[in-house]
Amino acid sequence: MHAIFRPPVNWRHRRFRYGLVVWRCLNCGAVHQYATRICRRCRSNRVAEDRLPDRARLVTLTVVKNPPVSFEKQAPYIVGLVEFEDGTKMLTGITDCEPEELKPGMELERVVRKIAEDGESGLIVYGYKFRPVIKRR
Amino acid sequence: MRRVYAAGVGLLKVDERWEQSIDSMVTQVVDGLTEVRPWKIDSIYVANAVGEVLQSQANLGAIVAEDLGLVGVPAVRVEAGGASGAAALLAGYQAILSGLADTVLVIGVEKLSDATPEEAVFLPTLSERYDYVGFQGVTEAAIAAMMYRMYLERYELPQEMVAQFPVLMHEHASKAPHAQYQFKTTLENVLSSPIVSPPLRRLETTAPADGAAAILLCSSDALSTIQHEQVVELAGAASSTDVVFPMEREDPLKLNAAARAYYEALARPGISRDDVKVLEIHDSYSILASLILESIGYSELGASGLDVKKGIYDYGGKVVINSFGGLKARGHPLGATGVYQAVEIFLQLTGRAGACQVDGARYGAMVSLSGLGSSAYALIMKER
Repeated sequence: MHAIFRPPVNWRHRRFRYGLVVWRCLNCGAVHQYATRICRRCRSNRVAEDRLPDRARLVTLTVVKNPPVSFEKQAPYIVGLVEFEDGTKMLTGITDCEPEELKPGMELERVVRKIAEDGESGLIVYGYKFRPVIKRR
Repeated sequence: MRRVYAAGVGLLKVDERWEQSIDSMVTQVVDGLTEVRPWKIDSIYVANAVGEVLQSQANLGAIVAEDLGLVGVPAVRVEAGGASGAAALLAGYQAILSGLADTVLVIGVEKLSDATPEEAVFLPTLSERYDYVGFQGVTEAAIAAMMYRMYLERYELPQEMVAQFPVLMHEHASKAPHAQYQFKTTLENVLSSPIVSPPLRRLETTAPADGAAAILLCSSDALSTIQHEQVVELAGAASSTDVVFPMEREDPLKLNAAARAYYEALARPGISRDDVKVLEIHDSYSILASLILESIGYSELGASGLDVKKGIYDYGGKVVINSFGGLKARGHPLGATGVYQAVEIFLQLTGRAGACQVDGARYGAMVSLSGLGSSAYALIMKER
């Protein structure tokens, strides 16, 4: 199986994947990870660009021990659900820690990380992950 | 109001069929429908979920029509992830109710043994939004595992309350000649099997499977013109959709699409859920068995495990679930699974279920999901 990552797809999603740029409904607040003209929750057509904060709280997590195509070399890896202060929930990879260090409710911060390298084309795909907040002086 | 009947069924043992391709499985299963020949088929629906990815084969409508010597008959492939089979049955039901068809052949076929282990993880995840989920290496099993953890935490339950579902499924499959895994297992085995994504264990999921099943649907007019031995009425069918990513639903532990589809399907013949004595549910992960039974109202929220312990879902209980082992133990050949569910209900209602026979059932039902409940299909079958 091949071409899981295609350059145009990766390019198209760059703003969301590198900067958490989203499309937010001005009527109900729902967030879309893709450019849309219709809110998928309330069907309003008042949707505008927004950016999600760099910090979020952990809701729940698990570990992928049986990886899919293109992620063979990374397993086991942590994935989880985070919640931003506006209530938006998002699925994300979690990095720089062990599962035992993670507790629901703890604050995580966004980083840009390599997601995978496609075997056929050699495309290196980057995107967001979250990690425990590193305290700064 | 027109009525829809199932006049013949066929199925292959769910297995790893190394020597067979999709076409040979289709011809073998349809060859098993001998009791309803000769045919005049108005339309063919072929359910298949991942053939264009794994076998590089799309356009299964025309291909299957030719394989069956039925060139000229309208034929189309139906894809709705793990619910493809149920979606094809619904399409056939609608075609007959509309009056545009009197005989419809519904075939479900899937061949997953061609996949590498990584592809077998990748393929079911195609039912989630790839640009959001698959892109990050998140698997369908991982999302199911997060739902599982939420469930155990919310209701403060030990894992065995969910993990006993596979034990019951293997018990049922041990008497089913067409089941993929005809062995019994224990709670200890399930809970000590390798972790897929915590808390989800290997024996709480399904394995790659090849399978094909077929049903001939017909109108009451057609019933008088074809030879048949046994007939069951397809008394209701419905479907619904939900927010695709479960964690964005108002309650990730409530499968609203399943509930809506099930009650709409029950409403067609005007029966209540207590009239259903044989129920096939979509237990691709153990946690989905709990969530379906609680969402469609057979168990109180958080109490499906307790109800299993009470024997409510076993022979002699309120309703027998997955009498041939369900997705867990009969096997889950993705796009064919829904057709297997319907064939199994047909076998139950016609007294042909062998050692798996549930006595005294007048109505049987099935609930089939794609993804983790983003769409759901329900069918009600009635003894004739």
